[in-house]
Amino acid sequence: MNFDLSSEQQLLKDSVDRFVADNYSLEARVKVTDAEPGFSKAHWKSFADLGWLALPFAEADGGFGGGPIETMLLMEAFGKGLVVEPYLASVVLGGGALRRGASKAVKDAILPGVVDGTKQLALGYAEEQARFDLEDVVTTARAEANGFVLNGTKSVVQNAATADYIVVSARTSGGQVDRNGISLFLVDAKAAGVERDNYPTVDGLRASEVKLTNVRVDPDRLIGEVGNGYAILEAVANDAILALSAEAVGAMEVLYKDTVEYTEQRQQFGHPLSEFQVLQHRMVEMFMEYEQCKSLLFRATLESAQGLPTAQRTIHALKHLVGKAGIFIGENAVQLHGGMGMTEELRIGHYFKRLLVIDAQFGNSDHHLQKFAA
Amino acid sequence: MDIDLSAADLAFRDEVREFLRTNAYKPGADYAAWRDGWFGKAKAKGGWDVPKWPKQFGGPGWTPTQHYIWEQETATAMLPFDMPFGVGMLAPILMGYGSKEQQERFLPDIRARKVNWCQGYSEPGAGSDLAALKTKAELSADGKTYTVNGTKIWTTAAHMADWIFCLTRTQDTGKRQEGITFLLFPMKQPGIEVKPIITLGGSHTVNMVHISDVKVPVENRIGEEGKGWTYAKGLLQHERTGLAGVSRSIIALEKLKEQARSVKRGNGSLMDEPAFRAKVAALEVDLMALEFTELRSLAAASAGGALGPESSIMKLKGTEIQQRIAKLTVEAGGIYSAGWGHPVGPKFARNGMASYLSSRAYTIYGGASEVQKDVIAKNVLGIKSGKK
Repeated sequence: MNFDLSSEQQLLKDSVDRFVADNYSLEARVKVTDAEPGFSKAHWKSFADLGWLALPFAEADGGFGGGPIETMLLMEAFGKGLVVEPYLASVVLGGGALRRGASKAVKDAILPGVVDGTKQLALGYAEEQARFDLEDVVTTARAEANGFVLNGTKSVVQNAATADYIVVSARTSGGQVDRNGISLFLVDAKAAGVERDNYPTVDGLRASEVKLTNVRVDPDRLIGEVGNGYAILEAVANDAILALSAEAVGAMEVLYKDTVEYTEQRQQFGHPLSEFQVLQHRMVEMFMEYEQCKSLLFRATLESAQGLPTAQRTIHALKHLVGKAGIFIGENAVQLHGGMGMTEELRIGHYFKRLLVIDAQFGNSDHHLQKFAA
Repeated sequence: MDIDLSAADLAFRDEVREFLRTNAYKPGADYAAWRDGWFGKAKAKGGWDVPKWPKQFGGPGWTPTQHYIWEQETATAMLPFDMPFGVGMLAPILMGYGSKEQQERFLPDIRARKVNWCQGYSEPGAGSDLAALKTKAELSADGKTYTVNGTKIWTTAAHMADWIFCLTRTQDTGKRQEGITFLLFPMKQPGIEVKPIITLGGSHTVNMVHISDVKVPVENRIGEEGKGWTYAKGLLQHERTGLAGVSRSIIALEKLKEQARSVKRGNGSLMDEPAFRAKVAALEVDLMALEFTELRSLAAASAGGALGPESSIMKLKGTEIQQRIAKLTVEAGGIYSAGWGHPVGPKFARNGMASYLSSRAYTIYGGASEVQKDVIAKNVLGIKSGKK
């Protein structure tokens, strides 16, 4: 049993912590999110130069062979800085599907651009009727003589607007909620029949409704086997939950610490707010929730890294707790900041909004508690 | 004790329903004309345009049950847009503490919704601890004019207001509450600068108001110099009871159920999912109780006169319930609640997040919930204040 980082992991952590501390003030973030494309291309280049975009890919694919622990270190720092660059969408989601299921030819063609930052990816997994169920897919892929024809709409696809390629789940057989019969395809975002309706989300990020009308996909752009895409999708969703939870833990830390600092400075009734016991206890609860999330994050990440059979259930537990605790901490950070907490001027509101969206990504707190208890 | 409405109350309810039905807004009609007409007709009913005003000032003089019926019936109807600051907040102070001249000068325009008011209470250094306010009002040597300097914050609708009722400090020594003076002055004049504050829901309703060297004639002072705190405190209790919004929450809860039923899950809907269903049910239980807490408080008020600090429970519970409804609406919307300023997903999900974020202020304004609890501990439970 050992919670120490290796020297390589420590170097990674130091480098990302430093980069975030130097580059992600609230002012800088707002400037970037208020304009298109909603992230900094210069930072994205730095991510590539620092090797972060290569992190989870195998060495044979030009990557560093990093695992869940490395991604956790990166995402926790991103959470602290409220980083807006589409790391999750491009590297964890799109990249996660490709590294698990793409043919050597596709990897050779696509991954170098992903790793050097010149190409971006997205993953279209959600559909309106599906709520949080990955297996609920009505988008169809019809096999034809020389490929597939896709029809349907993938919903709330993060980073689709700037993605060069979108990995899409579509049904090649089976009923609406069958796990068998789902296939994954790498779709060129500029292909004929792909329509993107782009919009911002409340956390300042970007998403799109991606409508596919008779989109032709070459047979070699199939990711994994026909009808067996669900296993890849589920593995990518687990990666995403670990990554989002690490990001959330980073955000929670900022929220509870900012709140402590604010209450120590803000005077009311002739005392700093931090002297009021009722507020002290509330901040202790925020801190406790944060620590519990961090513990479950370590547990789920380590179980995943070691491929333990318990990992899936722990991931459900993690996402349940992170969703619930994140909103608890966010709501109380606002409450304890009083009117100031309600403004866009302080960073806490922005962290709170990100935590609200994280709860709804890849299944909310209730959804995962139900899965955990099942 | 019984909970049946009397024949007279039932007749009153029918009358209210008839009035609301006959005067409902017809789509496409001129809104401003309808609004003016609505208030005019309500006035002609015998003070229905100012339901809470006492009879001697032209109000209807309803019983608590009639007020309850009015609130219930109007919660579902579309009423003309109405800010609470004039009719609901300043008017009771003018009636209680203003001079006859002030009442005659200000009440008619308030009643006619001709003049928009805003409330200048909170300051950057005086939020829940309102008595810490510093905006200074200095009386000239001839005793005729105050010169006001300071900054107010969280001033709702200041950017649309014609006048402000403002708490100012006229004395720095002695008990903090005793040096506060209640002044009225116009907003559209040199020396007043209104800066918008954008809140988490992305909207502009509150402002920062800078006041520099604004001259206020002494006849715009309510009551005596240094007694403003007493006047405002009575008003805050008014504000607090008005914030429970029980009838609106009952309607909102029904709407939430409908929305959740529209989110299909397998052969059922989100309402069939145990976790969501349990949260909705728990909300309904709390709301049923609060509805009767409000009735008990109304009955006590009609028997004994003024509302006491126990009215604080209405704000605490009422706002908590409003926040829970807003939160469940966001949950029902799933990932679509994240969409921002763009129609995506089910229709109800489009405003859910903004409403939820705005709702976080409910437990902050009008006295933060933590302060409300202090007030109840001290004034209702009789616990002597000691340790912070």
